[in-house]
Amino acid sequence: MKRRSFLKKSAWASLSLPFVQNGFSMQAVAKELFSVPKSAEDKVLVLIRMNGGNDGLNMVFPRDQYAELLVQRANILVPESSILALTPEVGLHPKMTGLQNLYNQGKLSVLQNVGYPEPNRSHFRSMDIWTTGSLDVNQTSGWLGRYFDANHPNFPDAYPNVDYPDPFAISIGSEVSATCQGLVGNFSHAVNDPFSSSVLPLTPVVNDGTYYGSQIEYISTLINQTNEYGQQINSAAVAGNSLSNLYDPLNPLAVQLKYVAQMISGGLKTKVYILNVGGFDTHDAQVDQTNLTEGTHPDLLKRVSDAINAFQQDLQLLGLEQRVAGMTFSEFGRQIASNGSFGTDHGDAAPLFLFGSCISSGIVGPNPQIPNQVNNQAGVPMQIDFRDVYASLLKDWFEVDPTLIQSLFEQNIQYLDLLQGCTNAVENQMGVGVQRKAIAYPNPSLGAQQLQFWSAGAHYEIFIVNQQGKVEAKIFDAYLNAGQQILSFNLQKLNAGSYYYLLKSAEKQELVAFQKL
Amino acid sequence: MNPYSGPWTAATAAHLLRRTTYGASFAAIQNSVNIGLSATLSQLLTTNIPAEPLAHDPGEQIVSMGQSWVNAVYPSNVNDNQLTEAARKKSLGAWLLQNINAEQLNISQKMIFFWQNHFGLSPSGDSRAMYQFIHLLQQNALGNMKTMIQMVATDPCMLMFLNGSTNTVYSPNENFGRELLELFTIGKGPQLSVGDYSNYTEQDVAAAAKVFTGFKVFGFRSATATQMTSQFMPNLHDNTSKSLSYHFNNQTIAANGAQEHLDFINVIFNQPETAKYLCRKLYRYFVNYDITPVVESTIIQDMAQTLLVNNFEILPVLQELFGSEHFYDISVRGAIIKTPLETIFNMLNCSSSVVNFDLQTTAQMYLYMYSFADQMGQEYGAPPSVAGWTAYYQAPAYYKLWINSTYLKKRFDMALLMTTNGLTINAQNFSLNFLGFLNGLSNPESAPQVIDDISLVYFPKDIDPADKLYLKNLLTGGLPDFEWTLQYNEYLADPTNPVFYNPVVSKVKAVLNTLFRMPQYHVC
Repeated sequence: MKRRSFLKKSAWASLSLPFVQNGFSMQAVAKELFSVPKSAEDKVLVLIRMNGGNDGLNMVFPRDQYAELLVQRANILVPESSILALTPEVGLHPKMTGLQNLYNQGKLSVLQNVGYPEPNRSHFRSMDIWTTGSLDVNQTSGWLGRYFDANHPNFPDAYPNVDYPDPFAISIGSEVSATCQGLVGNFSHAVNDPFSSSVLPLTPVVNDGTYYGSQIEYISTLINQTNEYGQQINSAAVAGNSLSNLYDPLNPLAVQLKYVAQMISGGLKTKVYILNVGGFDTHDAQVDQTNLTEGTHPDLLKRVSDAINAFQQDLQLLGLEQRVAGMTFSEFGRQIASNGSFGTDHGDAAPLFLFGSCISSGIVGPNPQIPNQVNNQAGVPMQIDFRDVYASLLKDWFEVDPTLIQSLFEQNIQYLDLLQGCTNAVENQMGVGVQRKAIAYPNPSLGAQQLQFWSAGAHYEIFIVNQQGKVEAKIFDAYLNAGQQILSFNLQKLNAGSYYYLLKSAEKQELVAFQKL
Repeated sequence: MNPYSGPWTAATAAHLLRRTTYGASFAAIQNSVNIGLSATLSQLLTTNIPAEPLAHDPGEQIVSMGQSWVNAVYPSNVNDNQLTEAARKKSLGAWLLQNINAEQLNISQKMIFFWQNHFGLSPSGDSRAMYQFIHLLQQNALGNMKTMIQMVATDPCMLMFLNGSTNTVYSPNENFGRELLELFTIGKGPQLSVGDYSNYTEQDVAAAAKVFTGFKVFGFRSATATQMTSQFMPNLHDNTSKSLSYHFNNQTIAANGAQEHLDFINVIFNQPETAKYLCRKLYRYFVNYDITPVVESTIIQDMAQTLLVNNFEILPVLQELFGSEHFYDISVRGAIIKTPLETIFNMLNCSSSVVNFDLQTTAQMYLYMYSFADQMGQEYGAPPSVAGWTAYYQAPAYYKLWINSTYLKKRFDMALLMTTNGLTINAQNFSLNFLGFLNGLSNPESAPQVIDDISLVYFPKDIDPADKLYLKNLLTGGLPDFEWTLQYNEYLADPTNPVFYNPVVSKVKAVLNTLFRMPQYHVC
């Protein structure tokens, strides 16, 4: 099946290694680092765009700094007791019971303080940055578009075809998604309602070999593609199923996620679905002045939370849970201090959610530091670069070759292990005999970290290696029985930065990336 | 460049008008045939400056409805200030499209969009300044390219757009200097080594940043200033002399205060590559995306030579280009995919249909089309990036980037709207001038002639006879041609009777309903 070629594998020999030699076999190390399983072809990524700039501090609360929040935003802050606890330090808005439920089931991850350097507070520019996955003002292709382009440089010429009958991505609504803009075509197909498939009239054209002929042939191809994709989508939606009764028909996001579940269960091979929720630009009256847990922004949060919870339950009932992962994002967070009109103005970083049964559930990154004095216009500083989140999704979820991933992004990628529990689960289920990967968690870590790996029954040495390949410390040297091993380490003495665990046995070497905060 | 010496026919006249305007009627094409190429060019290549935009939206808090706001202050109250700006932004958007609808066989509208695309400027948030910027483009649209760049360099909108207003000796900002070299004048060539882009280097970018230090903008959404202005602040200017790279023969730009940036722009324009770069952009806009080695060494070379000889006056270049053999070569006809605005306004302008209701309704209709064009990928007042629209620079697709499944649906939706119910706003209905269009053709009672004439107006090349037959059957309802003739003559005998004109209108609608959704309609 040609669909396998979705994962373009380049020869690892051509890789530029991230560090220099330092006394151990770099070749073996590199091979292990870049060895990628091939089980990604049925995986689906769902992106939920919260348009307008979501007030992250009214969604995920640093519970340990409630007093500081009161200094900054008393006129919009929910009562302390109403916050839904995820951990002693972190809580969700009281309207987000759905996501609390997913967190308790181990299906939600909260990434804190996600943004990018030198934040831009223009909606348009910042959304461009998030959709292109680039800070370059001249970058016009989307981050997913570049990924699809790498394997399908001729798209849309001769698409759809027998091997690729379905759209690569579907954008729910009337616009294609800028995330999927490729060099020539946009890989996303806009779908308002998969159950109504309108057909555009197609009059035959003849390419007379001139520029004119090539242009009208192209337009004709696109009309045809629009219609053929439309039919595939329609058939899948009709054939598909939905089993959850949690979807609220008055919640547009829930209705749209139900469409997505129906298309996936109907067998559509689309890799990416993009959904939009508007209304997050809450400069004024973001909460009800008489009841601060109610109002515009709480309603939006409830919609997002309820819809994702319903969708996740549906996937579970449909037996599709392990094929689908999701992410929310917004162009920026809002300022730490509220304004006088019970609202908040454009800010910087904000938390985002990853959801799905394959997500390594938990809180990634520390709480934002809320100052105890109001500093006008201060936003939440960025700690996790959103481009690294994208890159990590491509690596862990779509299992894309890291060399290719690096070519799609301008930054020196710092991978986060976002989906660590999943690869194994999917592989076990599929019976694919791929070497199970070692994982470190929580990652990034402030101090305590666990390393989980599969021992072959051998003597192991474990080192901490920095980005330059220099050994910082030897932290383990002993025999380990065959089977899963979980070792706990205290990293408090390590400076903040990106490192690897190097696991060495007589048989093999393995690298596991992690970040110390 | 070889001048065009072939016969001046309806096909050549239609090609010229299609490329230089947003749509010519059948009568306008015939007129061009009658007066000839040279007289047509004289008519086309003149500067046309429309009247100022008028307030139509009740959000406007300062001037009365129907008055110009381009020299009016803003309210001091924040909320009213925002409401007023929102109203002015709408007024400006409606006005841009109204100008297109009212262009009257003149190249100005196409040139303004050329420049709008060239500078890739997004609105600053003060619509008065945006108006001044567009006005500057209008005044210089056919003028001197060097003058245009010099004026734009210190325009308040541009100073805000590319951080010129925060570019000072204390913290130089390279944004404008880089784009000036990379996109506005000499262009970026292949990278020869780190920081060397064939025509300039990072050293030149850094020097450019220093040259442009010291300009500040004033009056943003001001309650006291009637316009935004820019001003040179000597104490914020870098008074060192700036050394350029070997690409500029290691010249230095001596400190020269408020005039220094003009000196620098002169230096850039003295480089032969600048004229070529600008002429390539004109070529891609008016002729074809594909600059083959032959086109580069002949057409571009000749255009650049003409531009240089005429000290960067654009008019002689366009006169030569539109009078050349190459422009009328059959190989480049129909090579361009229409922009969304061409797609919309060809429907209106070719059929002499003008939106003409009360001020507010008219503006709202144009805004509806403005947002339709936006959904097709062309928001007139807000290019996607400083590089302009991808259709003019993104290889290899170029114009094909105007087409995707969503944009196609929107193009077809607009075609359906215009050939079915028309656009209804405030209980007023705008429909195309179907009867006027039909009556303006050479022989409206002859079904085959009607289809031939409509094809001339709307298709860049002759279409297949089978397609013409298909369209004719839509006109006659599949009946013999004489039935159409009878129907048309019945209407002529009693032209105000809906019993007779309705069937005629519905047949023309049926033809255009299909025609506007044929691939051949979407190229020009």
